Amino acid sequence: MIGSPRLRRLIPLGTVAVLALALAACARDYPNTTFVPHSDLGRAIDFLWKRLLLFGTAVFILVEAALIFIIWRYRRRNDDIMPPQTHGNVPLEITWTLIPAVILAFIAVPTVRTIFVTQAKAPAGAMVIEVYGHQWWWEFRYPQYNVVTANEIYIPKGRTVDFVLQTKDVLHSFWIPQLAGKRDLIANHINHIWFTPDAKMATTVWNGFCTEYCGTEHAQMHFRVVTVEPAQFGSWVTHQQAPGFFNASVTPANPPGATPAIVAPTNAPIPEQAGVSAIRMAQPNVTPPPPPATPTVTQAQLASFILPRTSVPAYAIPHTPLPSEISFNDRLVGDATNGEKLFVGAGTCNACHAVAGNALAAGVIGPNLTHVGSRIAIGAGMYVNDAPHLARWIKNARIMKPGNIMPTLGKGQYDPQAKTVTSTGLSDPQIADIVAYLQALR
Amino acid sequence: MATTVIGPNVGTGVDTGIETGVPGLKPFTPSPAPATVHSYKGGIWSWLATTDHKKIGTLYLFTALFFFLVGGLEAEILRMQLGAPNRHVVSPEMYNQLFTMHGTTMIFLAIMPLSAAFFNFLIPLQIGARDVAFPRLNAFSYWVYLFGGLFISIPILFGHGPDGGWFGYVPLTTRAYSPGINIDFWVLGLQILGISSLAAGFNFITTIINLRAPGMSLMRMPIFTWMSFVTQFLIVLSFPIITIGIFFLLMDRFFGTQFYEPAAGGDPLLYQHLFWLFGHPEVYILVLPAFGLVSEVLPTFSKKPLFGYPVMVYSGILIGFLGFGVWAHHMFAVGMGPVADSVFGVTTMLIAIPTGVKIFNWLGTMAQGQVRFTTACLFAAGFVALFTIGGISGVMHSSPPADLQQTDSYFIVAHFHYVLFGGSIMGIFAGIYYYFPKLFGRMMDEKLGKTHFWLNFVGMNLTFFPMHFSGMYGMPRRVYTYDSGQGWDVFNRMSTWGAYLIGVATLVFVFNFFKSRRMGKPAGPNPWGAGTLEWTIPSPPPPYNFAVLPTVTSRYPLWEGKEADVESARINQQSGKTAEQLGIVLPYDTIKPMFAAFFLVLMFVGLMTNRWLLAGAAGAMTISLYAWLTSPLEPEHH
Amino acid sequence: MSTAATASHHYTTTGLDNRKIAIWAFIGSECMLFVSLISTYLIYKGRSRVGPFPHEIWKDPATGHVFNPILNIPVTSASTFVLLMSSLAMVLALAAVQNKGKPQRTMGDRILGSSKLWLFVTALLGATFLGFQAFEFTSFVHEGLTIKTNLFGSTFFTLTGFHGAHVTAGVIWLLSLLMIDIKRGLGPDDALNVDIMALYWHFVDVVWIAIFTLIYLIR
Ligand code: HEA
Ligand code: HEA
Ligand code: CUA
Ligand SMILES: [Cu+2]
Repeated sequence: MIGSPRLRRLIPLGTVAVLALALAACARDYPNTTFVPHSDLGRAIDFLWKRLLLFGTAVFILVEAALIFIIWRYRRRNDDIMPPQTHGNVPLEITWTLIPAVILAFIAVPTVRTIFVTQAKAPAGAMVIEVYGHQWWWEFRYPQYNVVTANEIYIPKGRTVDFVLQTKDVLHSFWIPQLAGKRDLIANHINHIWFTPDAKMATTVWNGFCTEYCGTEHAQMHFRVVTVEPAQFGSWVTHQQAPGFFNASVTPANPPGATPAIVAPTNAPIPEQAGVSAIRMAQPNVTPPPPPATPTVTQAQLASFILPRTSVPAYAIPHTPLPSEISFNDRLVGDATNGEKLFVGAGTCNACHAVAGNALAAGVIGPNLTHVGSRIAIGAGMYVNDAPHLARWIKNARIMKPGNIMPTLGKGQYDPQAKTVTSTGLSDPQIADIVAYLQALR
Repeated sequence: MATTVIGPNVGTGVDTGIETGVPGLKPFTPSPAPATVHSYKGGIWSWLATTDHKKIGTLYLFTALFFFLVGGLEAEILRMQLGAPNRHVVSPEMYNQLFTMHGTTMIFLAIMPLSAAFFNFLIPLQIGARDVAFPRLNAFSYWVYLFGGLFISIPILFGHGPDGGWFGYVPLTTRAYSPGINIDFWVLGLQILGISSLAAGFNFITTIINLRAPGMSLMRMPIFTWMSFVTQFLIVLSFPIITIGIFFLLMDRFFGTQFYEPAAGGDPLLYQHLFWLFGHPEVYILVLPAFGLVSEVLPTFSKKPLFGYPVMVYSGILIGFLGFGVWAHHMFAVGMGPVADSVFGVTTMLIAIPTGVKIFNWLGTMAQGQVRFTTACLFAAGFVALFTIGGISGVMHSSPPADLQQTDSYFIVAHFHYVLFGGSIMGIFAGIYYYFPKLFGRMMDEKLGKTHFWLNFVGMNLTFFPMHFSGMYGMPRRVYTYDSGQGWDVFNRMSTWGAYLIGVATLVFVFNFFKSRRMGKPAGPNPWGAGTLEWTIPSPPPPYNFAVLPTVTSRYPLWEGKEADVESARINQQSGKTAEQLGIVLPYDTIKPMFAAFFLVLMFVGLMTNRWLLAGAAGAMTISLYAWLTSPLEPEHH
Repeated sequence: MSTAATASHHYTTTGLDNRKIAIWAFIGSECMLFVSLISTYLIYKGRSRVGPFPHEIWKDPATGHVFNPILNIPVTSASTFVLLMSSLAMVLALAAVQNKGKPQRTMGDRILGSSKLWLFVTALLGATFLGFQAFEFTSFVHEGLTIKTNLFGSTFFTLTGFHGAHVTAGVIWLLSLLMIDIKRGLGPDDALNVDIMALYWHFVDVVWIAIFTLIYLIR
């Protein structure tokens, strides 16, 4: 027979266990980790998780150790030995019924408490962000500031956000691993998930994902969440409220005067050891600031905070390679003014896309492009937002993102859905112009 | 005290001596292993027309193993694609079809039928019956499964495979968002497979209630039969629910009803409730038979009766009951409200208790034993080790707030592969290695078997353990690719290597299986020195199973049995006599059930393609059904 | 059918015939089927976005056309009564088959003892019920409610249609028994066949009582 089953079993289990610890150690390399929460909700969940992990590991070690011991101790030694023909043992049965029951009680009680705390109605004064799921991109609306954007949101640190989740088509699910758990977007239902991002945290970008299978491009339905200082947020809002305009000089600065009233951070970080108290959610008692008077362009230009590209972390910048099928002359220099004409003309972009301030561009099928130039990524986080990618996207969006409903606009391009080659469409120079226009929309 | 050795001494070449524990019981020398093994004679026809539960079981086994390979191959392609970031082995559309069909195949075409193979082959042998209650219905179930399986599996070869995920959530699967025929195959295919499972369910419930040999009281039933019994009830009570849930979708897609039409007020959550009301019992349908097999293997190789038999029975029943009260734990993210979340969270946790009891009783069975680590026993022990891991991650999901971080991430994928692969599949492999000799009269190669086990065990953990991390580090499931720099690369690479390893392991198994069938050592009636009824008859069993119906006096007739058991065992092992010689009537062979099944599936094809085919198939089906019902099951005999 | 003749010769643990147990398992399964259908109807009750509705008047905002409540309680009460009576006839048919061979002195005995008669009556009443349902469906369609109109239409037609299909199957089953009875006459050793038929028939009947109460009577 085999030598020592214990040894052989220990090898795989051991290796994985070691590797497990090794990896759990360095969370820095895991930009979407759920182990390092940055909000009250995240921490409430993490508190439960730690407890589950503790008991789970305990049970795991107990059972596997017992198994390994029994395998080693009672492996066949001698065929003549006749083991005792025991049929059972009532006290034992009772013990190993009760112990799990007790363990589960320790899990169930905080679970139920957390459920009721985290699913309470969002506190008054929370900032509302309406989330609309589309195949396969995200539409965001700030009703309190009448700001509309797509696939990228800014939220002020320390201010409770109430996400109101709805879908325009199939089911989707809204997830920012580092900030909170998931909530589904379901037709004929309005869902909420709310939390307060920590007041003390980096001004940085978090990845968001769609986590309910929603069809072909479910894998490419990402979004970005930028946590910023309240003052910066105010400045960003002012900027977003401004209509799309050319060549806005985007200054990371934020003169106080130009920012609308912003709520101060409301929740001190909660100590994790505080046990149950750790699951109490912050209840900021603040009233939403009045939407500021729609600012003039110049005012917005003065104060238009956008997270500078240099401080966008690498994990928030897509690395999806360009499909080789689409060729484009990247040395072409476009003319934004002509691009604007094409946008509402030959390009027919306005059929689906809106650009505030451009009366002719009011489409609602596709993402709002008012400030597309300021966004990190395009295609719902699939490609980095720069000229080469924009150009190819416009030229043949359906090869860039299979299943995409955005039509193939380039002339003489193969449309994988219609299975035909386009006879009409935009020439490369025209596309370059549109790209210039879009990039100018900061 | 006087000891009597029962059970031959062949096959593994290890002493399988067992005390009867019955004082003064005369020694029993069984017929030695035959030099040659009689295999089922008769050509292809005898398989098409068979009503013999053993042959039907064999058909199930081969078909299900084939589909297991297919589902595995699909998984291998999934892993190939995910082996590195932004890889494009297959298109997004194909990837979505692959994971949908991988899940559907493994659950409905691999594991359930593998269990069915054991129901068919074992239940009559374990309860001392000559066949199932309705032999022809049994054949019908198999053929419906085979044709239905092909119906749902073939489209992917043409790029039209179902692509809605294995639970096909609406509205994604309605015409509006899935206009193609892909989902039609899934919707109709599941209806077909449901018919097969339901027919088998009625059949086995009746068999177990009504065909137990004299003295085989419920509390003497082998635990595998017990777990199968519970499973059949789960099938019979849960399949109608999904039948309706999917029938609505069928109506929506084919006849323009509005059940899942959001614009008309249709509610996607209704579908989810109907699906998971079936779906959760389903997962216990997948694992309870494995529980049963493990509970047969461990006692034999520990030379001890199952520890806490009654508790094992009751916990099995309890799991079955609780299984109907936890479905919404698959819906913690849909916003059911705090009350529902709490209720379903807690009921879900409760299931851990009876399941734990089972784990501990298996440990108790091995403890103080003389555990002989044959391949079968290794798989059984591996089952206990791995299922526990999957169970614990299950309990981690059962806390709704915590699940908000876990749901629809790879952490879930890790959970259900530990319970499905580490649980169901490991248990079923234990069963295959254990019962192979009884099925084919030959031993499987232990060397290859152990290679299979260790490759499988290491590969399994290498594949699925890292998924816990990719999941908790934020990787959503059902994504055809992922970007680099997300911290997921290393885990995915491990999973992919692991998958290849499992693939190799599986090929070793396939090789061993066919090699041993041809040239394995002749087994003899009871190569493992087991104690239950199926081992009192020759391997493979004669068509009539038992020359004399045994009179059962204990749970392990060959270990604890009285004179009567030993006596009938001795007679039953004197094989060679034909049914006629013994004056036993057996059902006729008949091809009618196969035709009925074929035309039934053809009707569904007609529903998809053209009305005339539908009508024609319906007619043909009625005719074959009439022919079936009006022809006698077996010769008259007075 | 002829499985009856042989299967009864076999040893069974309970002494009952296999088919008797199978039919109970089957009925248990059928219960879950109808529970799912009925609860779907109840869940969707009142969720239809457009009319016509089961119990309420609805004025189409677009056309201004007024739709009366769809359900026609009196007619359905009649059909319900018919189905109940069919169950009674079924009981008599079974009794008749079981008492075959007993001496039949009076006219009454002869009438009660005629399995052909009662099988026929059961089938006839079943068919009548189906006739009512056909009438009901067509009139609903005329009033403007189809299976596509709204949630009410989809759930209602599917649920009652499912039940109708079960009645149809039952009627066919009854007629085939009637044929056998006419061909060779059903005797006490066929009683089980009729018994099982009866179980099925009564089940279908009970389901209808549930549907009638929950869908028609309760508003
Ligand atoms: C064989 C199949 C099988 C089995 C047996 C189980 C068993 C369990 N499952 Fe699993 N489950 C699946 C198959 C299975 N599951 C599948 C396929 C899915 C995904 C479907 C999909 O989305 O595609 C799923 C998903 C799933 C979810 C939904 C997750 C989500 O999508 O968000 C949940 C949530 O509660 C869950 C819980 C459990 C629990 C608590 C058990 C319990 O029965 C486990 C009990 C066992 C133990 C706990 C171990 C032994 C016990 C002890 C040693 C005693 C001491 C232990 C403690 C006190 C903790 N499972
Ligand atoms: C019992 C069920 C079962 C089993 C055994 C498996 C086995 C495996 N599963 Fe699967 N899996 C599911 C049930 C199962 N799975 C379910 C229900 C889902 C959810 C689907 C959904 O989301 O809808 C899923 C999803 C799933 C995913 C997630 C896909 C996604 O979300 O995008 C992945 C990814 O790695 C995966 C991998 C694997 C692997 C590597 C194996 C390995 O164990 C496979 C082992 C390999 C083999 C057995 C093949 C060996 C044979 C050869 C290599 C060649 C010979 C072949 C022929 C001759 C034909 N599975
Ligand atoms: Cu949207 Cu997945
Ligand atoms: Cu479940």
